[in-house]
Amino acid sequence: MGENGPMENQDQPAGDGAHWMALEGGISGSPRGAAYASRFAGIGACIPAGRLTTDELMASTKYKTDIELERLTGVRERPVVGPGEDSYTLALGAARDALAHAGIGADDLDMLLVSSISRHVGGMRIQIEPPMSVSLKEALGARRAISTDISNACAGMLTGVFILNDLVRQGRIRRGMVVSGEYISELGRNAAQEVRDVLSDQLPSLTLGDAGAAAILERAPEGAPGIEVAGFTTLALHSRLCVAFPATIGPGSTMHTKAREIHQASTDEAVPLLREILDQAGLEFGEIDYVVPHQTSVRAIRKGIEQWSQDLGATPKHVVVTVDELGNTSSTTLFVALWKYLNESRLAPGDRVMLVALASGIEVGVVIFRPGELVECYGHDH
Amino acid sequence: MGTIIEAAATATESALGAVQLAGAAARFCLKRASRTPGELDLLINAGVYLDNNISEPAIAALIQEDIGANLGRHPGGAQGTFSFDVRNGACGLLTGIYLADGMLASETIKLGMVVAADADPDPGFSEGFGFPAVGGAVLLNADNQRAGFTAFRFATFPEFAGLFQSEVNWHQGAPDGAGRPGRNILTVKVADTYATRAAQCAESVTRELAAASALDLGDVGLLVAAASVPGFAGALAKRLGISAERVASLPASLAGAHTAAPAVALEPADLAAAGTTVFVSAGAGITVVAALYRI
Repeated sequence: MGENGPMENQDQPAGDGAHWMALEGGISGSPRGAAYASRFAGIGACIPAGRLTTDELMASTKYKTDIELERLTGVRERPVVGPGEDSYTLALGAARDALAHAGIGADDLDMLLVSSISRHVGGMRIQIEPPMSVSLKEALGARRAISTDISNACAGMLTGVFILNDLVRQGRIRRGMVVSGEYISELGRNAAQEVRDVLSDQLPSLTLGDAGAAAILERAPEGAPGIEVAGFTTLALHSRLCVAFPATIGPGSTMHTKAREIHQASTDEAVPLLREILDQAGLEFGEIDYVVPHQTSVRAIRKGIEQWSQDLGATPKHVVVTVDELGNTSSTTLFVALWKYLNESRLAPGDRVMLVALASGIEVGVVIFRPGELVECYGHDH
Repeated sequence: MGTIIEAAATATESALGAVQLAGAAARFCLKRASRTPGELDLLINAGVYLDNNISEPAIAALIQEDIGANLGRHPGGAQGTFSFDVRNGACGLLTGIYLADGMLASETIKLGMVVAADADPDPGFSEGFGFPAVGGAVLLNADNQRAGFTAFRFATFPEFAGLFQSEVNWHQGAPDGAGRPGRNILTVKVADTYATRAAQCAESVTRELAAASALDLGDVGLLVAAASVPGFAGALAKRLGISAERVASLPASLAGAHTAAPAVALEPADLAAAGTTVFVSAGAGITVVAALYRI
């Protein structure tokens, strides 16, 4: 497939160009970063075969809690790793899946970003150094790739997309991958030993599931659908509302979340930011065919979309929900959901898809794109 | 248009944790450049050994809050701050500069900062942690008149991955003090042969950078090099034929500084006088990042 040459003056600022988010593309984002366009070339996932139902998890709590977790969150079950699986193996599986769908080899990658929060390599061992990207790069055979780990909580993969988009659009790289493997069901097991009631700050840990996901970005042919705008910001006033660290009760980690506060803050704060990025893309919320929000709970997603729709004066055509069967797979949720919808032939080449990361920090990241030829990588044209 | 180092700063108060050290270095750096925290469009943290081994949120978000950089959205204002972490060991600070350089070049941001700090996350219990507690910050902007960073080169040498490893793992029955059955303990292992291998790897990557950039290493005015072990910069300079007086040295107390080392070396340096500066970082992996800076 052909590639476009440098495009001039396509992203020049309009008006004063003031915006709160760091922006790539759109009307006034990254005015000097528009030599090329970028698109998703492949989305991969690795979902372990094991399943843990919410009933099973709640039956394992140390204390009698009377928490109706499934009713509260809508999470029926979540994938869990089996023997020999961990953050590294999930990431590797997802990376290989993405390469296969994209129809390229690892040697075609100019950059490899690894955004796992959990970093379990060899079971429950948490690897600090070397970064996981070194061994993934070697295992994939991505010999030419610049590699590094990045970390941005559940917004890590979308942060990687933002970085790759920046570099692809300038022509600094032609193709790159961001991959994450999250073995985080162990936080749920630890929470089950400490949760006493519905007010526990470890309650959200009970929704977590394991998965790997990978996304490949590449330079798009001239005029081809792809990423239209990407934006990110950090609302650090709320940076300490969700914190995770190694557990004190046993192997692995624990996560402590002020769930109500972080949900309210992120829902409220997201509205003007969504408005900003829609304006940059020249779109209304109602013109979005699929919104893929971060998957925390069915109730949180529904309430959030309801408020956004009310405040933005329109409703997106579809809202993607996977948390009911996959749980919250942290940094991988957006791309596991996207991968699922691609495999289920739900997306058309011209659909406008909005990925929304809301994560500890509070990180707010939004990417609007059209899949284009991406849908053909999954054995169908729609 | 090039990415320019506007200021560098460090913080070494021994009583502080890594997050506070990074925040202190960031404040010093902004003050040195007569900038305010609100001007930061990008904040990247590259530190690895952090308070309580926190895995979430990004440490950069905590630092952003601590220094008061655009904590919440305000209407009609300028751009907010985007924060995230880079975890590339001792190469993290240079990796962060590479990513910031991209966003400065595209004008996605106008001012970015990369901070890095390490301190023992669990004093008295960590095993093998020997890095001095220090934070560093480097402030970056775009300049139409000067070249700044003109080339980067990255390489990994996974055959030497076993020479520098660290992990957090559960030790059943380890002392806890609170009657718990064990403890998650940080263990850092650096092999005796790491320093030599790191220098070998760094030499090859630096020579590749020089060849790709038509740089005569004899023209290097300043070498800023670090690999988390004392004596690395001098050893690399000798391999490259760069005279000792052109090496940015670290104070003896910080000779083994980890992710903040490039900022420590930079703080007293006169980059304008040096003309051509080569940055080289080597770390676990073995990973090497080299960069060419011309002013």
